[in-house]
Amino acid sequence: MKAANQTRGELLKDERFFAALLVAPGLLVLLVTTTAPLVYLLWTSLHHANLSMPWMNGFVGLDHYVHMLGDGRFWDALRLTAIYTVTTVVLQLVIGLGLALLVLQIPLGQWLFRLVAILPIVLAPVVVGLYWRTLMLSPSFGLFDVFTTQVFGKSYNWLGEPTLALISVILIHTWQWTAFAFLVLLASLASIPPDLYEAARIDRAGVIDRFRHITLPLIRPAIMIVIIMRAMVALSAFAAIYAATGGGPGTATQILNLYAYQTSFVALDFGYGSAQAIALLIVTLAVSAALFRLRRRGGLA
Amino acid sequence: MLVRNSGSNITRRKLLGHSALAGAALAMPSILTTARPAGAQSLSASAFAKANIDWKQFKGEEITVGVIPAGYFNNLIDVVDTFEDLSGIKVHFDKIPPGQIRQKAMLDLSSKTGVYATHAADPMYYPLYVANNWVEPLDAYLADPKITDAAWFDYNDIPAGWRGSCSVGGKTYGIPYDGEATVQVYRKDVYEKAGINPAETLDQFVANAAKVHDPSNRLWAAALRGFRGAGQNMYIYPSIFREFGGEWYDSNKKLVVTTEPAIKALEWYADLLRRYAPPGVENWNWPDIADAFGQGTLATYIDAHNSAGVINDPQKSKVIGKIGYARWPKGPTGKRVTSIWTWSFPINAALPERRKKATWLFIQWSASKETQTATSYEFAGAYKRTDVNRTSLWQEPQYRKLMDSYGDNFVEAATASFRDDIDPDWRPLIPQWPAVGEIMATAVQAALVGQAKPKDALTAAQKQIDQATRS
Repeated sequence: MKAANQTRGELLKDERFFAALLVAPGLLVLLVTTTAPLVYLLWTSLHHANLSMPWMNGFVGLDHYVHMLGDGRFWDALRLTAIYTVTTVVLQLVIGLGLALLVLQIPLGQWLFRLVAILPIVLAPVVVGLYWRTLMLSPSFGLFDVFTTQVFGKSYNWLGEPTLALISVILIHTWQWTAFAFLVLLASLASIPPDLYEAARIDRAGVIDRFRHITLPLIRPAIMIVIIMRAMVALSAFAAIYAATGGGPGTATQILNLYAYQTSFVALDFGYGSAQAIALLIVTLAVSAALFRLRRRGGLA
Repeated sequence: MLVRNSGSNITRRKLLGHSALAGAALAMPSILTTARPAGAQSLSASAFAKANIDWKQFKGEEITVGVIPAGYFNNLIDVVDTFEDLSGIKVHFDKIPPGQIRQKAMLDLSSKTGVYATHAADPMYYPLYVANNWVEPLDAYLADPKITDAAWFDYNDIPAGWRGSCSVGGKTYGIPYDGEATVQVYRKDVYEKAGINPAETLDQFVANAAKVHDPSNRLWAAALRGFRGAGQNMYIYPSIFREFGGEWYDSNKKLVVTTEPAIKALEWYADLLRRYAPPGVENWNWPDIADAFGQGTLATYIDAHNSAGVINDPQKSKVIGKIGYARWPKGPTGKRVTSIWTWSFPINAALPERRKKATWLFIQWSASKETQTATSYEFAGAYKRTDVNRTSLWQEPQYRKLMDSYGDNFVEAATASFRDDIDPDWRPLIPQWPAVGEIMATAVQAALVGQAKPKDALTAAQKQIDQATRS
């Protein structure tokens, strides 16, 4: 028995070695393509790497991070990132859920709504940004301006006025991605067995009670997934804002990702830009970790 | 006068090095060397034979040149086969949008891959290039009789302001291919009706604007670039800054942007645009301004003289024949300060020696009076350059005739601008310009849209500039 066990153990060891061998190429590719650049980013963030002051280049330790704490523009960018993320996620969730509940009532032709909903998602964010910038929000010619001047007799400079510009980029992101929440929630809603509602109706539970005690708890996992996925994307949003406002006017829509880009590729300070990118990474990881924990604990119900 | 073949054939000569034979060359039978596309321009090799150098000495080299997609480079691309025939050097062009060419060039220069032998360079970037030793000092090239015929090339024929903007610490690093000045462009008919003349001072410019401003009839009084960028609103603001008496450095050689003139200048800029510019101007670059003017919705603007091509394009413009030009209005100091702009060609220091020199031949060819003429009034296509780099060419009757067709006082205003209104301290020439220019551009835009008061915007900018230049 013992001998047999040993051979089996050895066999398992062999197997394990073989398995590792099989996994190795994939792991290596992953390491080279994702981990190595990250480590390099971290390494760069500990250095002066500024093309416009090459004579300063060298190791500086945590200087950039210390500097970041006192950089008003960094905190401002972080604040905008928070506003942008919270508002876009909430809007997507509320509108997406509302649409899904409505569409669920339609007995026929739901596929049509699903199809239409997918359209904005498949557009490249840069295209979306440019499309809104030129066709929807531009002064005098944009659809929004035509609408407001016709209906309210007032013209708004959507991308030229700081607060409106922030609202605009939030609107653009919500427009493009609400469909994602809609589709996920619609699928989740459709999977709720109808007899639950029937039983509730027999118990004389009202619409609101049915929604609160049956619908919400049952689609909670889907809601959490939507929140987590959308929050992570919103935190690192870039292309649509870049195309629509470039972070402007002034710094009104310069979320952290755009500020990091600006620092690295416009101001050519790759050291500090890398530190900002790392900060964004930490924020994103922290937020997702918190959300995942919330999901496991069963909060937010 | 230069001798030029008007035919399409190129004479290929073996003894290009001897200018004495240049005259005789014309009598020699010409040999068709390459089939060229129909309609393409050609320059006579004999014009270049006058240069006392051996054009063929780097035969077989291939170089890639980064340019922006613009008429003035398209014309160069159209005539480059002349250079290829002349030198035996193959030239590839890579057209890169103006918003990306700086980054693409820097990527190439910093990684030392030597993809672009030369590229259309922004003069503000030379201090940065030089700080990193990315480009070659060109004085040795200019002085080497083996590769440069100084008398023929006549480097000093290029206006001093443009030459100076491509040098750092007295050394030359780039050769201007073209150049422009900012001028006042105005609607003659509108001004006549209002009984006003183009502004002599900034105050008058505002007063003029007040007289013609009529947005209910879709006529806005004035526009300046508002779009954020080191080359957009920071192309306009420095002129106002200097006209208000602004100095970029204090007595400790520290870069300061919070001085009284700096604030006054930004107030003037923001105030003008807020009161008299079309909505959305804070996101406008020069093409948007020129389009609005061409559509007849704008009475005046101050921008590159080169935008005259757009507002005189019959397909786009409704105001042809109603356009007049004048110099920048004077500021409170009585100074006029035009912008300094030239696309210039440096040599990538990462190239092998022989290719550097081949690149030099290309640069010399493209900046020569012959090529400048061939891409301007002698060009066969519809677009003829109005931004040539040669003082002597600006005085030639044919060039002036071309310019005069663009409106009243055009050639006079532009010439006077780049001759008299250039200010070497227009913008701070520092390697940190990409960062500083962007910080300032953001501050200017923030003030233009009212996100911050001019003073506060500049104070915030100062803090960031201190950080960006901390050493």
